[in-house]
Amino acid sequence: MARDLAIDLGTANTLVYMKGRGIVLNEPSVIALNRQTGEVLATGREAWQMIGRTPGYIVAVRPLRGGAITDFEITERMIRLLLQRVGVSRFTRPKVVICVPSAITEVERRAVTDAARRAGAADAQLIEQPMAAAIGADLPIDEPVGNMVIDIGGGTSETAVISLGGVVALEAVRVGSFDIDAAIQAYVRREHGIAIGERTAEEVKMAIGSAAPTDDESQAEVRGRDLMTGLPKTVVLTPEEIRFAIEDVVSSIIASVVRCLAKAPPELAQDFLVRGMYLVGGGGLLRGLAPRIERETQVPVKMSNMPLEAVVMGAGHCIEHYDALKTMFMGARRP
Amino acid sequence: MIWILVAVVVIALAVLVIVARKPRQEPGVASFRRHIDALSPEARREVMDRVRPPDSNQQEGQGN
Repeated sequence: MARDLAIDLGTANTLVYMKGRGIVLNEPSVIALNRQTGEVLATGREAWQMIGRTPGYIVAVRPLRGGAITDFEITERMIRLLLQRVGVSRFTRPKVVICVPSAITEVERRAVTDAARRAGAADAQLIEQPMAAAIGADLPIDEPVGNMVIDIGGGTSETAVISLGGVVALEAVRVGSFDIDAAIQAYVRREHGIAIGERTAEEVKMAIGSAAPTDDESQAEVRGRDLMTGLPKTVVLTPEEIRFAIEDVVSSIIASVVRCLAKAPPELAQDFLVRGMYLVGGGGLLRGLAPRIERETQVPVKMSNMPLEAVVMGAGHCIEHYDALKTMFMGARRP
Repeated sequence: MIWILVAVVVIALAVLVIVARKPRQEPGVASFRRHIDALSPEARREVMDRVRPPDSNQQEGQGN
């Protein structure tokens, strides 16, 4: 008998929650393929280590961008392999709840459910990421009070106001922490004349990246390829430079939070001043982001206890209480 | 014997009258109640405890 699953199919990482067991898989959403034969060579962490370091016949790709499937066939193969790793076989077909960005189109929704069904799921239902995040962040969404959650993922940033188990206001932008990495890559190329890979850009972001000045700031040495000479070169980057490089992306995320606040009904808006907003998702870990949002919105911002796992925990709760919560699935009638 | 049968019939009728008079919950109300109850902190505790690392219980209440 298959155990039902909840999947946070993120642009950056895929997490799987198994009913009655908890989180059983947490791996980067990356797949490595043999370009010539089409064979899968690695998935998850192993494939992630290959990004930018592969010979010509191997390609390590992220099949999701901006929370949407960019390559249907590769995504289906990745989901199939991930499900196999958690024990799903041809004879054990579980029900699956998948978290997706709220802004995805009808075509993208169908692509996700079809990919899951073809990968071995008996039934695939979708849930909006901010709703799952609010459940997983343990917010009191069963009460008639305003709960605001900001979920900053790899490819999307979503802000939602939730009350009485439903979404009251929602704002989403297809901008996330991968756009921060891309902005760092572009800045280093433009200002220092060296090319760096996406993994190096991510390391720079984690080492010295910030959305606002912080107390413990240091510089970082970055190695890349000189665009003029083609030789390896080292440059030193400062936190101010990185803040300047990523400013457009950070501003875009904060602007979407402000738009969501403006959409909230006044009765709920006053709750935010007391209860604050909750930040979840890997992008929320950017240093100085919470104080910056707090400064620009004048609303307290709190970090969820488990920001990376909140979404899959929320979806996991839905799979544990499937019948009572099936009205929350996308496409289902709201109660 | 006949009195026992009469008593049973009377009790059954009384139960039927009580059940019929009791206001029935609308299906929408029951469904909404079930939905809200499933989102309560008590209902969520099992999943939270399953996933949360053991040492994070001390931080409970600070953030969430």
